[in-house]
Amino acid sequence: MKNAVSGLGLAPDAAMVTFPIDMFLPGSDISTLELRKREFYNGLTKWQSEFEQGTGEAKMLRVEGASYEDALFKANNLLLTSLYGDGLPVWPATRERVEWILQGSALPRTHVLGKFPPRGGVTTIETCAIALAMAGGRPEYLPVLVAAVEASLDPHSNFDQLQATSGAPFPVVIVNGPIAKQIRLNSGFGCLGPDPQQPAGASIGRALRMLQQNVGGAVPGVGTMAIWGAMRYTNVVFAEDEDGLPEGWAPHGTERHGFDRGTNSVSLVFGTGVTNVRRRSARKETPEEDILQGLWRMADYMRTPNLGALMGYEQGTPGIMIVPRVVAQMMAEQGWTKPKLREFLWENSKIPLEHLKRGGALSWFEIDSNPITRESVKQDPWPICLKPDNIVFVVAGGSHPTHAYWLQGTGPRVLGRVIRTPETFDRLLAQADRDLGCGSEECRI
Amino acid sequence: MVTLEFHDPSGTLEVTQPFAPRLDTLEGKRIGIVTNDQWQAYRMMPKLKELLEQDFKNVEVLPVDAYPQGNLLIGTEETAKAVKASGVDAVIVGNAS
Repeated sequence: MKNAVSGLGLAPDAAMVTFPIDMFLPGSDISTLELRKREFYNGLTKWQSEFEQGTGEAKMLRVEGASYEDALFKANNLLLTSLYGDGLPVWPATRERVEWILQGSALPRTHVLGKFPPRGGVTTIETCAIALAMAGGRPEYLPVLVAAVEASLDPHSNFDQLQATSGAPFPVVIVNGPIAKQIRLNSGFGCLGPDPQQPAGASIGRALRMLQQNVGGAVPGVGTMAIWGAMRYTNVVFAEDEDGLPEGWAPHGTERHGFDRGTNSVSLVFGTGVTNVRRRSARKETPEEDILQGLWRMADYMRTPNLGALMGYEQGTPGIMIVPRVVAQMMAEQGWTKPKLREFLWENSKIPLEHLKRGGALSWFEIDSNPITRESVKQDPWPICLKPDNIVFVVAGGSHPTHAYWLQGTGPRVLGRVIRTPETFDRLLAQADRDLGCGSEECRI
Repeated sequence: MVTLEFHDPSGTLEVTQPFAPRLDTLEGKRIGIVTNDQWQAYRMMPKLKELLEQDFKNVEVLPVDAYPQGNLLIGTEETAKAVKASGVDAVIVGNAS
């Protein structure tokens, strides 16, 4: 077992006694504890760290092959066997490729963003560029990745626990501002999945995952106890469909973080699950019935004891509700605004206390460190977050009316950061047009 | 032959503080237990206390509730201060999974 303490400036090993998981289950046989008591005693008296003090040097890796294809194959094998890969092919982060990516930074390559927990790897702009290079990224993506990393490493993010926990949280990065279109970040059809015409989200999210694993030590079963690890190849990186916002609806970055409209920004939420909500009516419902029934179905999905969201009860979010622009437009025509929608969903997703009791959820409230969360359970029905504004409500997805999407949240905060671009950003965008063809909406299929 | 040289992506580690020196013996020492109260800690930690007290003369193991408990509390400055104030020679922290 490693990684649990190095983020604190200690060496990456520690005096630990490890047992199979059986020992930690209710009703377990703990007699092994006595059989192995000497390991505890030795840990307190004889154990010594095997790690030398000081700062380790960043290394270069090297392979040789009979051809470029052979060398590339060997490089991928080396990265995978070194636990630096994700199973999909990667671009080896050569000096040339990293230099190219670094053109996208507004900050010096040596600028330290923080230490990626739980392993505590020092994370610089160059570290981000290396990850983005491996993930198949481009220089114009780097500003978004850096902002997402800054938000992740915020002391209030609780990232050390979220990285390591069994619940398998994954970062969800919502981008606002003109940069989304400029770098081909999807806000429309398929915005949470692969899109060859708007590929930025996949590379940025994959690079963030690479950092989590390679620098932060979140190797499955070692540095992260994520039981399933869903959504973790690329995390979730998408843009709000700002052109699809009805008149009077503010962008998410403005509502949640107070950024001026038009500011390039990221908003970081940690998700624990994804649920499609079929919200459209099927037959002869009126427009009013269509919207209201759809909202009830959304609230029904939200009315679940997502105990992972307790840590964000006061200042975080129970999740992100995403609706496509055509639905947002219908809602607005009927007088709905984002605040009104959140109010409806908050009010109607409250859980009867009896349902929490029968599921044994109350013990999770009892051990919560936040007194506001502990006290909240005195309400019946229990609201899934402190106030309606905790709920993240964004407009994104293809212009199609049938579904809404609910990403269950976790984590104590929703963290916003302004995206900083280099002065040469326009040149990078022009290069992208030369490499990938015209990226504007008019040019897309 | 083609050579491909590329960055190790794991970044660097910065070790800024050493682990506490180990004790010469547990006899006569004062031991604290910092627990998140998870993963059967409510049984395992008292058992450890019992074993230590059986095996070492004059060892004093503080009760498991001597410090704040819970995942979000055991890493706080408040807990660190409580540990320091209690004058223990060593602590056992658990349980992680």
